[in-house]
Amino acid sequence: MLRSNMQGSTLNPPVTMVFTGHFRPESFAEFVRHRAARLSLAMRLGTVNDNRVEVAVEGAADLVDMFEMACSLGPIDCLVLDIHRNAERQ
Amino acid sequence: MTAPEDLESRGTAVMGFAAGWYALALGNGLEPGTSAGTQLFDKELVVWRDASGASHVWEDRCPHRGMRLSFGFVRGNHIACLYHGWQYDEAGQCRHIPAHPTLEVPETIKVPTYASVEAAGMIWVRWDGEAAGQPPEDIAAVPVRSLYLDRAPETVAQLLAAGRAGSFETLSPGTFATALEGADLFLALQPYGAERTALHIARTGGDLPLKDIAVWAEELRASLEALPAAGLAPAARQPGAAA
Repeated sequence: MLRSNMQGSTLNPPVTMVFTGHFRPESFAEFVRHRAARLSLAMRLGTVNDNRVEVAVEGAADLVDMFEMACSLGPIDCLVLDIHRNAERQ
Repeated sequence: MTAPEDLESRGTAVMGFAAGWYALALGNGLEPGTSAGTQLFDKELVVWRDASGASHVWEDRCPHRGMRLSFGFVRGNHIACLYHGWQYDEAGQCRHIPAHPTLEVPETIKVPTYASVEAAGMIWVRWDGEAAGQPPEDIAAVPVRSLYLDRAPETVAQLLAAGRAGSFETLSPGTFATALEGADLFLALQPYGAERTALHIARTGGDLPLKDIAVWAEELRASLEALPAAGLAPAARQPGAAA
């Protein structure tokens, strides 16, 4: 289950985003948590390491798009090279 | 009001001023529908006045991309960010995102706001939350002008309190009164940054022309920037409220 902090938005299927690049894992994870909270998205972190971060998010489609855009920049000590996203299997 | 978390104590601790109400601007310097950026303890703030005339003091940063909201546009009782047009209502809540016009904006997209009042012809902000005490008294006053000095706030306060720049009555460590050719003047100190201070001046009595007071204020600014700080009393505490 995703940790839910939804605020009345229409729920869409969870989306898993896979960020690849060069990460300080704890820094990127905190960045992702903050952006998800700001956008009222439910989220769950999966694999988090120096080169790959997986995160499942759930919420309004527009907000999920905003989340991807926000995370594409990342914190100053991380470099996002690529993002893949897929609807999560139910 | 949204309680900003860790910003007040940082500045107050560094500069020796305590929780309190600080003047940020002259009330007549901010027309309805306009915004201005300022700083308090090096923290960037936007002061803006909505179309109904109410003034607001917020963190000067759009939650979206960090653009200064003071660069934005006031639209009725909302302020819109210059960058992508996100609009915020009087409580700091984002209400409209132009790129997603049908989106119900989540309540988590909100600008940190500060309690503020208008009193003695000035716009005041409450710093350090409840510890700040009562807001300043709204004495009758005519705003004259604001001075910006390249001098540490504590030094400016000490110079005024010690009478180095003329005869001033210390109403509280952050507010002063003086007389000038039959006029009564009220001065409120704004700790702008570690080495920068604003002084807001209002006339509280007499009818000396504002132009004459402005000339005196310029001379005061020059004195306060040039006077030696040697031998001044220890740092002031607790700015307190207006007279």
